[in-house]
Amino acid sequence: MTSLDLSGAQIARAVRNGELSAAETVDASISRILQLEGKVKALLTPLFERAKSFADQLDRKIASGEEPGPLAGVPVVIKDNLCMKGIRTTCGSRILENWHPPYDASVVRFLEEAGAVVIGKANMDEFAMGSSTENSAFFPTRNPWDLERVPGGSSGGSAAAVACGYAPLSLGSDTGGSIRQPAAFCGIYGLKPTYGLVSRYGLVAFASSLDQVGPFARSVEDLALALNVLSKPDPADATSSRRCRPDYQKCLGREDLKGLRVGIVREFEAYPVQPEIGDALGHVEGILREAGATFLPVSLPTTIEAGLPCYYILAPAEASSNLARYDGVRWGMSVEAEHLVDLYKKTRGEGFGAEVKRRILTGTYVLSSGYYDAYYLVAQKARTQISREFAEAFRNVDMLLMPTTPTLPFRQGENSEDPLQMYLSDVFTLPVNLASLPGLSLNAGRSSGGLPVGVQFVGPRWGEETILSAAGAVERVLGKPAAAFGGEGA
Amino acid sequence: MRKPGSTVIGLEIHVQLATASKLFCACSTDYIGAVPNTNVCPVCLGQPGSLPVVNARVIEYAVRTALALGARIGQFTRFHRKNYFYPDLPKAYQISQYDLPLAEGGQLPVGEGDDRKAIAITRLHLEEDAGKLVHSAADGRLGHSEYSLVDYNRGGVPLMEIVSEPEISTPAEAREYVARLRQLVRYLGVSDGDMEKGSLRVDANVSLTNKDGSLGTKVEVKNMNSLRALERALEYEIVRQAEVIGRGESVRQETRHWDDANGVTCGTRGKEEAHDYRYFPDPDLPPLVLPVGFVEGQEALMPEMPWVLKERFNKDWGLSVEDASILTEWPGLARYTESCVKGGANPLRAANWIRTEVLRVLNERKMPIEQFAVSPLDLADLLSKIDRGDVSTTLAKTVFELMVAEGLSVSCAIDRIGAPAGKLTGPELRLVIEHILARETEACEEIRAGKDPKGKKRGFLCGQVMRESRGQADPAEVAKTLGEIIANL
Repeated sequence: MTSLDLSGAQIARAVRNGELSAAETVDASISRILQLEGKVKALLTPLFERAKSFADQLDRKIASGEEPGPLAGVPVVIKDNLCMKGIRTTCGSRILENWHPPYDASVVRFLEEAGAVVIGKANMDEFAMGSSTENSAFFPTRNPWDLERVPGGSSGGSAAAVACGYAPLSLGSDTGGSIRQPAAFCGIYGLKPTYGLVSRYGLVAFASSLDQVGPFARSVEDLALALNVLSKPDPADATSSRRCRPDYQKCLGREDLKGLRVGIVREFEAYPVQPEIGDALGHVEGILREAGATFLPVSLPTTIEAGLPCYYILAPAEASSNLARYDGVRWGMSVEAEHLVDLYKKTRGEGFGAEVKRRILTGTYVLSSGYYDAYYLVAQKARTQISREFAEAFRNVDMLLMPTTPTLPFRQGENSEDPLQMYLSDVFTLPVNLASLPGLSLNAGRSSGGLPVGVQFVGPRWGEETILSAAGAVERVLGKPAAAFGGEGA
Repeated sequence: MRKPGSTVIGLEIHVQLATASKLFCACSTDYIGAVPNTNVCPVCLGQPGSLPVVNARVIEYAVRTALALGARIGQFTRFHRKNYFYPDLPKAYQISQYDLPLAEGGQLPVGEGDDRKAIAITRLHLEEDAGKLVHSAADGRLGHSEYSLVDYNRGGVPLMEIVSEPEISTPAEAREYVARLRQLVRYLGVSDGDMEKGSLRVDANVSLTNKDGSLGTKVEVKNMNSLRALERALEYEIVRQAEVIGRGESVRQETRHWDDANGVTCGTRGKEEAHDYRYFPDPDLPPLVLPVGFVEGQEALMPEMPWVLKERFNKDWGLSVEDASILTEWPGLARYTESCVKGGANPLRAANWIRTEVLRVLNERKMPIEQFAVSPLDLADLLSKIDRGDVSTTLAKTVFELMVAEGLSVSCAIDRIGAPAGKLTGPELRLVIEHILARETEACEEIRAGKDPKGKKRGFLCGQVMRESRGQADPAEVAKTLGEIIANL
C-alpha cells in the first residue's frame, strides 16, 4: 500500500486504527521518491532518516495508546522556505545554502504535532521569486506530466512532489500565485488561504503583506484536513487572525450547491487564454450549474488594469527590505572581503541570483525618496481599490470562477529570458493576494497533449468553506486527480 | 522673530524603557554585564522567517510618558521600517515610527518664576535599539581595528524618542530640559534615565540665527554622556559656530561628536553620506489601535508630576524653591519627604534634615533612598522630639547617626546613648534653673530691673538651661519656671 493509493485522510485513519504503521507509510513514500526523483528533481533535502525515526516514535506513541493526531503517519513535503530546527533551509538560494534555522516554523510544528511526517524539503524558485522553479540556485524541477516542461513556481517542488505521489500533502507559499499556478501546472489542488488565516512565523519572507502558506493535495478532503491543522491562530505572528476557525472538513458533505452564486469576471473573459483553459472553465461551469449553482457576471476593471504593475511594485518593495538581512555578517553565505561594504557587495553579488537581484533593485528604486510617492504610494492606493472591487463583487456572488493561468505548462527555458512574459503567468492569481482573498486551484482534466489544465475558485475573505465545498462538488463529478507516472514501476 | 546670531537648540532624546523584555520579543533587556549574544532569539537576531510582536508594556510606558507631557496620543499609530545596512542592525532595517508616531505635541516646563517657560515637544515615538559593536583597536575605533565584534544583547531593547521643538535658547536651559525629562521618566518608573549607562541619550541640533533672524545651518552634536558634558558641548559648539560665521565662512551641516577629554566637538572626516532610509510601513505589524479605555487605564496609574509636587512643597509647606527642587529631584526622595511630613514632622525641619543629614549619608554610602536604614516615620519621630523639646538638636544628630549605623528606632537609639530617659521637669528642673541663675547673676539682675524689653537675656538664660539639661527639658516649661523664679527672687 502506498500514498498513491490512499489519501492523507485515509492514511491517518488507517494509522490511527493500527491497520497501517507510520513506518510503512514512510517506507512507501521513500521508495516512490527513490523511483522518480532522478527524473523530477522535486526535493532539495530528503529527510528519510529523520522521517523514519519520527515514524517509529509515532508508532510507539500509538502502541502505548496515546492520541497520535489527525495527520498520524501522513508523509508531507515542506517547501524549503519554511524553517525546521536544525534542518538546512535554503529558500532555493546560494546565500542560504548552508543555513540551519534554530527554530521551527509554526506550521511545521502544527503539522508534526498533528502526527504528519516530514519526508523532505522541496525545491523552489529562489526566495519564492518565479513561476517555473527554474530560478532555484540548485537545479530546476521538472513537470511530472512532461519532463520537458516546468512544474510552475515558485512552489514547483512541493507541487511536483504531490503530483508524483511522494506524499499526499505538501506545503507551499503563495505571494502572487506560487501555490495555485504550480498546482494547475502539476494537475493537483492548491489552496492559498485568506491572508492571516495561516501563521507566517518561520516562513522566510518574500513580501510580507502578500505571503501566505497553504497546502497542496490530490483530494479536497486532504486540503480541508490540512487546513484544519494549519489554520491555528498564532501569537508569534501579529498578522495572524484571532477569529474562530470552522471545521473545514464539515463543509464537504454538501450534495448540491443550490443557492451558490458564482461570479464570472467580465474583464478576465476578454483576456486571451489558451483554448484548453477556456474549455475547462466552461466544463467546470457546467458541473457547478448541474449541482445547482447560478452564474452572474461581475466587473473588476482596476484589477485587470492595475493588478500586475501594482503587484510588481509592492512585492519587490517589501522584498528589497526583507532580503537586506542577507549581508554576510551573521549567518548564511559570507564572502571574504577587505572592508564592510565589500563584504556586502561580494556576498550579495555572489549569493543572489538574477531574478532576486532584479526585484531587489526594483523594490529599492520604488521606495527611494523622490520615487516613493509616484510608485509605492500609488500602488498602495491601487491595492486598496482592488480590494474594494473584490469586496463589491462579493456583495452579489459567493465565489468567483476564473482561470488559474493564461497558459498550460510551458517548456523549460521558454520564458526564462523574458521576465515580463514570466510575470504574466500570474495575472489571474496575484490580484487574489493583493485583495488578501482565498484562492483554490483545481484540476479540470488534461489537454489533448496530456498536460494538466487548472481553473481557480476565489472566495471572499474567510470564505475557504465556500470554495472547498464547490471544489468537492466538482471532484464528485471528475474524480480525484490522478498521480503522475501512475503506478508505473511501483 | 529671533535676534540675529541667537542660539537655537532642539533636542532629540532616546530613552531606554525599563521593561523586562524587548520591544518585539521576550528576550531580557538586562544586557549590562551579560555574556555577549546571550539575550537573543530568532526575532531580535532577525533570523529569516522570524516576526516581531509588540510588547504591550512598552506601549503602556510610552502612553504614560505622553500623558505626563500633555501630548496628543494617536488612536491609530503604526511602525515603519528604516532601511540601512550596518552590522549592529540584524535585519538591515530598524523598526521605528514615522508618519504616525505614538504621540505628538505636549510640553515640558523648565525654569523658575519669571524665567519659567514650557519647551514644546514635537513628537514621541517608539523604536528598537541596535546591537553594540566592539572594535578590536586599542583606541576602540573602527578605523584602526583589525576586526570588530558585535553583541546583539542590546538589539531590540525598546527606545522612546522624544523630540523637542527648536525652542531651547541656552546650554543651561538644554541641561535643565534634559534634567527635567530624566526626572519625569524616573517618576513614571518607565526608565532609570541613566546617561552614563546610555539609558538616556541626547542628540542636540544647534544653530545660530542668520542676520535676517531666520534659522541658520544646524549641526547635530552627539556623544554627551552626562548633563555637564551636554552643557559643555553646547557651549563649545556655539562659540565654534560664532567663530566660523565671524570669519565670514558658513557653518557646514554635519554631525559632530563631543570629545569630553579634550572639550571639543569633532566633525566626521570625509563627506557625509546622504542617507535614504526608504521608510515604508512594516507589513509584519498591523497598525496599532489602542483599545477603548487603554489611555484612561494608564491615566489612573499616573503619579503626581515632579513640577506639581515641587509647587506643593513650596506653596503648601513654605519650603524654599531650592529645597523643593532638591527634594523632588528623585521620586523616592519626594516620597520620603512626604511620608516624613505626614508622619508629623515640621515640613521646614524635615526639609532641612533631609537635605543636609539624609543626603549626606546617602552620598557617602552611594546608596539610593529606597535602601536608607532610617524610615521616614522614624525620622519624623525624631524631628518631633526636637520640636517638643524632648531632645536637643545636638543630641538628635547623635541619635540619628546611631539610627543610620545600627538601624535602631528613635527610642532604642536614645537608650543606647544612655541619655536620661524621660523629661527633666518639676522640682528637678527647678534645681537646674536655680543653679544657672546663681551663676548668671548679672543677667538676672537686669531682667529684674526691667532692662530686657526684647527678652534677649531671658532667651539667653533659657538656652543655658536647655544646654545644661541636655535637651531633656521642655522649653515652654523652662521659660515659665524661669519667669516664676526670677519674679520671686
